Amino acid sequence: MSSPTRRSLLIAGAAGAVSATWLITGCSSDSEAPEAIAIEPSAPPEADPNVADELTLIGAYLGAIAAFPELRGTLTTIADQHRAHARELGASQEALANIDPIAPSAAKVRPAVTELIERERAAAGQRADSTAANDDPESVRMLTYIAASETSHIPELQDLRRALKAGS
Amino acid sequence: MTYSDPAAVGSIRSAIRAEQNYVYACGLAGAELKGAGKRRAVALIADRQQRIQVLAALLPESDVPDTPPAFQPSTPIDNARSARRALADLDNALVGYYADMAATTDSADRAFAVDAAQASARSAVQWGASSQAFPTGAQG
Repeated sequence: MSSPTRRSLLIAGAAGAVSATWLITGCSSDSEAPEAIAIEPSAPPEADPNVADELTLIGAYLGAIAAFPELRGTLTTIADQHRAHARELGASQEALANIDPIAPSAAKVRPAVTELIERERAAAGQRADSTAANDDPESVRMLTYIAASETSHIPELQDLRRALKAGS
Repeated sequence: MTYSDPAAVGSIRSAIRAEQNYVYACGLAGAELKGAGKRRAVALIADRQQRIQVLAALLPESDVPDTPPAFQPSTPIDNARSARRALADLDNALVGYYADMAATTDSADRAFAVDAAQASARSAVQWGASSQAFPTGAQG
């Protein structure tokens, strides 16, 4: 770490806060004096819990589609709506492009759809709750639209579940 | 409490008008629907009239809009299919009115608006519409 021939990273911050400044030192191979570059770190990705939750929802849909490709049509449509929600809430393109699928815990298709219904119900509640203490009217308006959209996914998924063979 | 802020009064008045139109459309739809659809349309008349009462209580009496004598939905209702589609469109449109109300009110009134927006979007899908990322009315 202290060797002048190797790059070192020092994190200086108040009580380990996330807003630490990264100090990068390094030196070239011909033994020039080390350079010090101060870099302000970006904010932690998707710190907004609503954004993080939208990304998790998309991951759950990707996982369900991977496990049950026959559901691709309906689930892709809903997942795309969550992408639209996430973008409006401020998710970065990078975050949207790097979502890991979350495999359903259920091995059968109907319980897997039930899991998505429960996720939607929780998401709709979270979005609705987020309007309560929000001081920004535009944000409240947007969250209301999103809460409504997510509530509407519930009967859509319930219809899908009904259409699946009982016992599957 | 009643609101005097013009933005809040305007959004609540708009929500009342939209619900009054919805109630009228439910009556038109009820004449075309049968079975569970008809029962649902009839039940929604009472449900939405109750919403109108809650909304009206938020305004000075002079600001509460009168019930219009008639309403023609943009999707004309002349059979069961168009009845369902018209109510779905009106439900999705209501989401926008309630989003405006949520943005201009606070506390329990905002919670009421958000809840009504959610119930309207759910109702639209139950009438046969596809879900929308930002429910706005007409289906694609």
